Amino acid sequence: MHISEGVLSPGVLVAGAALSAAGVAAGLRKLENEEIPSVGILSAAFFVGSLVRVPVGPASVHLTLNGLLGFLLGWKAFPAILVGLTLQALLFQFGGITTLGVNTLVMALPAVMCHYLFGWGMRKGTRPHVLPLTAFACGFSAVLISGLLLGFSLYLTGEAFLPVAKVVVAAHFPVMVVEGGVTAACVLFLRRVKPELLEGCFEPKRALQ
Amino acid sequence: MSQSAHCNDRRSPRRGRIVFSALVFAALGWILASTPVWAHMVTILGWVEGDRVYTRSTFSGGQSVIDSLVVVYDDQGNELLEGKTDEEGGFSFKVPKRSDLKIVLKAPMGHMAEYKMAASELIGEARASETGSPEVEAVASSHDSPPPEVPATATVALTREEFHALIDESLDRKLAPIFSLLAQQAGRGPRVSEVIGGVGYILGLVGVALYVVSRGRKGL
Repeated sequence: MHISEGVLSPGVLVAGAALSAAGVAAGLRKLENEEIPSVGILSAAFFVGSLVRVPVGPASVHLTLNGLLGFLLGWKAFPAILVGLTLQALLFQFGGITTLGVNTLVMALPAVMCHYLFGWGMRKGTRPHVLPLTAFACGFSAVLISGLLLGFSLYLTGEAFLPVAKVVVAAHFPVMVVEGGVTAACVLFLRRVKPELLEGCFEPKRALQ
Repeated sequence: MSQSAHCNDRRSPRRGRIVFSALVFAALGWILASTPVWAHMVTILGWVEGDRVYTRSTFSGGQSVIDSLVVVYDDQGNELLEGKTDEEGGFSFKVPKRSDLKIVLKAPMGHMAEYKMAASELIGEARASETGSPEVEAVASSHDSPPPEVPATATVALTREEFHALIDESLDRKLAPIFSLLAQQAGRGPRVSEVIGGVGYILGLVGVALYVVSRGRKGL
């Protein structure tokens, strides 16, 4: 899910960077001081998570964890993913510096979308089994939408959309399942040891202060 | 429910637990990361062997990039030839032109890598083809097993060009495994030090952010 340097056209790169910048700005505006450590830790999890490989037949693909970040952070997933991707590009040469904007968008936009689609599972009052189910759906669909966005950005550069999208989605299907499971497991773990991290997301922050 | 109780103790000693959980998670990732990784980065490395250019394409982690498009351009950016990698990520072609070559690997899902080969690397090949292969073969055979009619004390007269061609040829043969090994090394995955460095970097950023925030609070 890391697009290399020189693959995309300049227009797509600039558009991706602009949209990512807007997303990061939105995330930073929503960031409360007390949340800085948890955003940082999730950013570190994202950074390391991409090293976890999921074997798929002869080949294998890696976790992205963008569903988990989206579920817990919402718009704040944008800065967290940007930091993670920047370090992956600098230290591991995954992706590239010029493609940072597009890659951030491809990973973080689905995260935010899934936050609004499935984040209600964290709200107080929902039945206990709803939380793992929504978390699974969140992890699963975040990877799916990321795959489609990746295919779309390649399509904008001139590749045929359907074959690329098919390859990406087919290769990532096992990742979607694993990712959903990992997200559900993490969220269940957090509900035990740090429940306020989950419930805080949908409470109006200003009212607490 | 105990959840409402937890919600109120925002500054509870449980804060340490999230750090613990993150560490567990990082350790898990680290253990699993020691196996090869795929779909991050591709590399392509080329070397000359005789009159052919050999390339090897690998994903980070060392797995071969199979059935992917390799396109060769000259220094003007004109496409010279293209082909697909075999099951070991290899692709070879006869040197098409004596110029700087740009060998571009186009792997699926937006991965791309290139290798630039200077014209000077191809010179040995060009010289060999100029002198003509029959001569080279004749020289080589006389080198391997001297014909009986030539006295053992007789020196084989070699022109400077033939001499160069011989050296280039045997160097190519000797260096080929090394280049192949280099190609595999180029596709290695991230090192543990880089992983730890990255995590440390993020924690440092958090520290800086908290420092700025705390200074802002004091100023108020």
